[in-house]
Amino acid sequence: MIERPTRVAESGLHRASAGANLLWLLAVVGVVLGSNGVALKAACFVLVTMLAAFSGIGPAQFLRRMRFVLVFTLVLFIAQALSVQTGAALLRNPIRLTDQGVLAGAAMAFRFLTVISASLLFVLVTDPDQLAQTLIRWGIPYRFGYVLILALRFVPFFEAEVRTIREAQRMRGIQTRVRTPRDIARAVRYTFVPVLVSALSRVDGIAISMKGRCFGLHSRRTFSRPLGWRTLDWFVLILCVLLVLSTVASRLWEWF
Amino acid sequence: MSSDHTIEISRLRVQYPERDLPAIADLSEQIRPGETIVIAGPSGSGKSTVCRVLSGFIPDLIPATVSGEVRFAGRSVWETGQEVLAASIGLVQQDPDSQICTLNVWQEIAFGPENLGLPREEIRQRVETAIRAVGAENLVDRNTTTLSGGEKQRVALASILAMRPRVLLLDEPTANLDPAGARDLFELIRRMAADEGTSLVIVEHRLRPLLILQPRLVVMDRGQVVERRTHREHLDLGALGLRGTWQAQPRPVQTGAPLLRLRNLTFEYGSPLLRDVSIDLPAGQILGIIGPNGGGKTTLLRLIAGLEEPRSGTIGRSQETRIGFVFQHPHHQIFERTVRSEILLDGPLSEDRLIERLREARLLGLDQAAPLSLSLGEQRRLTLVTALSRDPDLLLLDEPFIGQDRRNVIWILSRMEEIRAAGGGLIVVSHDTELLSTIADRLLFVDHEETIFGDPSTVFERLRQSGRDVYCPEADGEAHG
Repeated sequence: MIERPTRVAESGLHRASAGANLLWLLAVVGVVLGSNGVALKAACFVLVTMLAAFSGIGPAQFLRRMRFVLVFTLVLFIAQALSVQTGAALLRNPIRLTDQGVLAGAAMAFRFLTVISASLLFVLVTDPDQLAQTLIRWGIPYRFGYVLILALRFVPFFEAEVRTIREAQRMRGIQTRVRTPRDIARAVRYTFVPVLVSALSRVDGIAISMKGRCFGLHSRRTFSRPLGWRTLDWFVLILCVLLVLSTVASRLWEWF
Repeated sequence: MSSDHTIEISRLRVQYPERDLPAIADLSEQIRPGETIVIAGPSGSGKSTVCRVLSGFIPDLIPATVSGEVRFAGRSVWETGQEVLAASIGLVQQDPDSQICTLNVWQEIAFGPENLGLPREEIRQRVETAIRAVGAENLVDRNTTTLSGGEKQRVALASILAMRPRVLLLDEPTANLDPAGARDLFELIRRMAADEGTSLVIVEHRLRPLLILQPRLVVMDRGQVVERRTHREHLDLGALGLRGTWQAQPRPVQTGAPLLRLRNLTFEYGSPLLRDVSIDLPAGQILGIIGPNGGGKTTLLRLIAGLEEPRSGTIGRSQETRIGFVFQHPHHQIFERTVRSEILLDGPLSEDRLIERLREARLLGLDQAAPLSLSLGEQRRLTLVTALSRDPDLLLLDEPFIGQDRRNVIWILSRMEEIRAAGGGLIVVSHDTELLSTIADRLLFVDHEETIFGDPSTVFERLRQSGRDVYCPEADGEAHG
């Protein structure tokens, strides 16, 4: 018998079921969107970083993957902090910065950072096929469940296509700087359009491939890999309950 | 459906929208159960369209006007519907990348049987059988995005085999395979056809590896059958007029500093790929690179082009050397809205010169067409034209002959000869050892850390001595249909 694959990696949340991973993602997003104050949102970001480390993705590696997100988070923080002018002034010259502005900026920055980092971790540790299967078990028609798999199938495709097209531009001496609106239009035309055309062509091919293997022929299909609730999933469930309780507490008693 | 899985095509005509000429003008054919039929012919002759009609994709998914009749097991394929037909007729497409829709090899092969709603145990058995059949046991836990072109082709084939089709349609299945892979694939198909009585319809340019299948040969041109041969008749490929008529030019002996000098070049992608590659390419010479899929051929081109950095070793060439690189997939190198502006992107050109280039590349009349709407063969010729527009001193070509008919191959060879005659250098990666043996001055065999470099006869001799005859040309040359 040929040994069947189980998981790509076998550490931390990789070992949790797709359903459990989806639950903690929803719980974390619920906390950052539903809680008051900054502390709980910041704690959630720390928690996500710890979960990543638990899953074999060290803080340095995890933050490196998010470097563009971190830059954007900083921009968000500054913009929000400067736009809220109520509260006690922390700085008057050359710009006015207030304590409420800083808190509002920090809340927005951690909300954004936590949602993005949690989503990234979820994608890294969850087998998309298992996720689709879980969603289908939860009642989503399998045709829609497979859209998710296809979407994830296209992530590495887009990365590879952009890389190859940039190399092709280099070989033809095409510069795609983005300093002026004209540069941006040129970069879009020379990068985005070829990637889009390539993706559309690929979608056609994959549609033919799926239909050519009877996708959609029957209203139900078999999933050859069984799903199961694992020991780790219970711990994830407890974590989710704690996160929900902390959100409720923060709203009822204005904690954190 | 009846148990007689005969395909009957009668007066078939297929016309794509916005095309002046029909893709298939008039085709009548019968394919009996267990029979193997090979369709050959120049690019655009309607070969792939036949596969799309038989699999039901035309007109169900691909819009086209069809007339005539196509029956499978006694029923019209158009009445049966593509989804139902798919359980009995499997299509392996030309581009394996376009066929893979999941992220894991096992899941990919199980995808079809899962859609059929089969019990888990039967799915497991079918997947295991298909994996063994294509020799992909080592790929079973791999992420599909990390597979090489040849590996993807094996997985794509296994995913169709797991459906246990009665008719298997293969559209240029060896386009991305090395000679060993092509030989193994046809051996596998031969066994399957013999064991299970599967009918085979194969579209191919490389005809020689197919001879073991003893197929009936149908040659198409401009949507019509122009030649029919039984397997006994077409063993002499030359008699069919399908063989290339390229005549190599006399080669002057070059002296002086080499155009390119590689010394102890070493590279790795996580694990070692190339080790201590040392070669010289004098001006006015062609270097051919051959070897198995994933062995490092394209990586070597990328290193020479400066798209990768070697781990150690040196790449010596003049700073002024202009390098042109024609990628394997032409759509990556096309940026403009029209063929005309695509050619002019690399610099101004007189109208006469532009028309001359279009004519040479058989693109005349298409100068206002969107480049990405061209056929694959036309796109390839366009990328070669644009690469030539920069007057490269060193031209790198990655699998330029894939999917090209004889006429296009000869056009590519003519352009290569021009560069050589002008004192430029060329490096060509190709699985077509027959062609390379004709045109290359030097040959490099690359298989991961092993390389063999020298003049073609020396390299082929060493390959034969090491039992790798499959990478060597045979005495009677290859056919390009």
